[in-house]
Amino acid sequence: MFASVRSATLLGVRGSRVDVEVHAGIGLPGFTVVGQPDEVCRESRDRVRAALLSSDLPWPTRRITVNLAPSGDRKSGACLDLAIAVGLLAAQGLLPVEILSQYAFIAELGLDGSLRPVRGATSLVLATVDRQTVVAPENLGEASAATVTQVLSAKTLFQVVECLSGRSEWRKEISKQVLISKSKFVPDLADVQGQPVVRQALEISAAGSHHLLLVGPPGAGKTMLAERLVGLLPSLNDEQAISATMIHSSVQTEFSKCGLIRDAPYRAPHHSSSMVAMVGGGTALMRPGEISLASHGVLFLDELGEFAPSVLDALRQPLEQRVVHLARARTSVVMPAEFLLVAATNPCPCGEGTPGACTCDDVARARYLRRFSGPLLDRFDLRVAVSRPNTTDLISPTAGESTSVVAARVARARSLAFSRFGGTNSTLTRQQLDSAAPLTKKAEELLRKELEAGHLTGRGYHRVRRVARTIADLTGAPQMIDETHLHLALLLRVDFASGLRTRAMQV
Amino acid sequence: MTLLKHHDPQTAWAVVQGRAKPNEVVSAMLRVEGLVTLLRHRATQDLQDQIEQRCIRSGIKITIFGDENYPRALIADLAPPAVLFYFGDLSALNSRRVGMVGTRSATASGRYLASHIAHDLATNDVCVVSGLARGIDAWAHRGALRALESRSAGRPVAVVASGLDVVYPRENAQLWQDIAKRGALISESAPGSPPEAFRFPLRNRILAALSEVLVVVESRDTGGSMITVDEAQKRDVTVLAVPGSPRNVASNGTNQLIQQGCLPIIGAQDVLVALGLDNRRAQENIYDPRVRLSTSDQSLVSMMAGSPFTFDDFVIRSCLATIDAAVSLGRLEALGWIVENSGWWEVIEVRQPLY
Repeated sequence: MFASVRSATLLGVRGSRVDVEVHAGIGLPGFTVVGQPDEVCRESRDRVRAALLSSDLPWPTRRITVNLAPSGDRKSGACLDLAIAVGLLAAQGLLPVEILSQYAFIAELGLDGSLRPVRGATSLVLATVDRQTVVAPENLGEASAATVTQVLSAKTLFQVVECLSGRSEWRKEISKQVLISKSKFVPDLADVQGQPVVRQALEISAAGSHHLLLVGPPGAGKTMLAERLVGLLPSLNDEQAISATMIHSSVQTEFSKCGLIRDAPYRAPHHSSSMVAMVGGGTALMRPGEISLASHGVLFLDELGEFAPSVLDALRQPLEQRVVHLARARTSVVMPAEFLLVAATNPCPCGEGTPGACTCDDVARARYLRRFSGPLLDRFDLRVAVSRPNTTDLISPTAGESTSVVAARVARARSLAFSRFGGTNSTLTRQQLDSAAPLTKKAEELLRKELEAGHLTGRGYHRVRRVARTIADLTGAPQMIDETHLHLALLLRVDFASGLRTRAMQV
Repeated sequence: MTLLKHHDPQTAWAVVQGRAKPNEVVSAMLRVEGLVTLLRHRATQDLQDQIEQRCIRSGIKITIFGDENYPRALIADLAPPAVLFYFGDLSALNSRRVGMVGTRSATASGRYLASHIAHDLATNDVCVVSGLARGIDAWAHRGALRALESRSAGRPVAVVASGLDVVYPRENAQLWQDIAKRGALISESAPGSPPEAFRFPLRNRILAALSEVLVVVESRDTGGSMITVDEAQKRDVTVLAVPGSPRNVASNGTNQLIQQGCLPIIGAQDVLVALGLDNRRAQENIYDPRVRLSTSDQSLVSMMAGSPFTFDDFVIRSCLATIDAAVSLGRLEALGWIVENSGWWEVIEVRQPLY
């Protein structure tokens, strides 16, 4: 007897369709799984057997062959358990084979016959959109988030059999409100006292998706500021939301639990993170890294200098291309990596940085600054010095502008930018810059002076113009860029090694 | 004996004075330290030859207490060095001598001031003595050398702690050579001695002894400059200090000195007066080539003067919108009234920097 059941496995952040073919034939009783299953997948035999027996369903005393087609691709994870169990029942004639063509099954089985949730339910369901998909009850939220097709659920294997034979009703999609993830508590910008320049830098960064580097002593509030940036970003559109939900669902972060992700994600990996944790990959599983998890949101790297140099340099290519191509011997995947990078660091080993108060000598400072490669520093459009707010600002009763006020300005500036070339200002190409960000005579003069004085490199020249475009958009000047915008753009691009160069200068 | 690698200046001094014979010292050492010292002493003769070889190779000259060219200022000192190694010409010390010291991590204004005061002193034929350390010391030397470029002027003298063939700090290598060529570079340590911590206070005592007047430009309340000040006070050398803003950490030490009764100075003129070289009436007016500021800019500059500030500080104190503040900073920088280093800004009150 033969039965074929539809299911899916996860590769990277995408699901891929798998047909579970079960054949029960004459021969010595036995059970083989073929089609490149991994260890977890092969163990499904024991789980399925126990689940069938505890559900009072028969285990066939025949020679069973389970093929996972396409047999050339490696399958991983326990998400095929339910499909194998259903296939076994159908192969024994306990379920009608014809109706199985309307369903797909994605769930792990417990030894007691219960259905267990799996990682990446969103992506898996997207791989089986042409059928009604059965998942564990815990997966119902994220599974229904991304798809319009019917997602069904049952608590146990026995219930699945009952429903398939029409003796019982499926548990269907849950109420609509679950589909919109509950807004998490996002800290408000009004908590930040004083520090007008950094507030402005956050606003510009959010409006133009400009990567931001915060440099300041301990206690200046760098982490606090970075956490508030995510609240300034607009909520994700449908396409972004589905992509973000797929990524988060595939590693089961707390974001994906309640359905479609609408808020920009915020990720702050510790500085001991490995290269694989950061960019993704690993074994055949190809997990998404932090840069993919932060897609459409903020990736915050605190203590930038403490990250392994190789990890930091691995960020350079995804920063440019907005996706990450991961290739391994068996597979290669492309994962989104469209994040806003915010990094924080101390200005020097003693952390003080103030001229006169800093106790570091030049050699120590130079060694510290050498940790950041020039090409990486160059990718930060905004580099801002953060100083500790003074006491009068800290205890003043007047709060700064709140997140909602600033977010409204950010949204206006973003829509201006999108109306030009359909992207944020940081994505403008050099050719687009000329038409999108025309300079006034005075502004041109100022930039020429900066270039001649050696304060700007060729790449810096274009970056400054992009930032100036965003500043002009925020201040309600959608056409020409004048020198006031450029002055601010230049001041928000501090060269932290300049002090060293001046001091080392010879007569 | 005096050339022993880790010699004790007091013992060496006793040997030169004839109060102790080299042999006695060695046997005393033997009693105290035993065999190790004996073995070390065996090496002494070799070491002495070695050092002599080294001196000849790198052109280092030696003067011993009692020699013709031994600096006269040191003869009557409390703890004169028995031997001095030097490059250049010790006659540089025959003019009036002013010591200049200060912190190694100086602010931009501190560096400019040091170079200007040294330059003006050298122009008035004063020999500027300093320690060739990072920060104030190096900039004082730079200013003094600058004065030598255009006309005859007082020649700079540097007293360093390490051996003369061990350049420390490395970044002053060029300055090291220039001073050796155009003034004098002095050390009490034998060639090859590394810049060990104990050598610096010893160096500071020579620096203080060579100065008629000691000028402290910027100093924190602890640190090497304060040791030099103590040594100067032991020798009744006049100490002058450049005052700074109480907010500026780099000026804590000098402000404290002034509080304790030390005379404040604001330029080279005041130092010349202290030396009895008052020539204020003969001087031409100092010309500041910078564009005069508008009233509003002037008030911004005077508001921010005194200590380094950030863009944030400027926005808060000036009550301007961020974008207007950026324009003001850009304008003032272009006019040369403020400078930026690593995100910190400073008002430059003296005229153009001597780069």
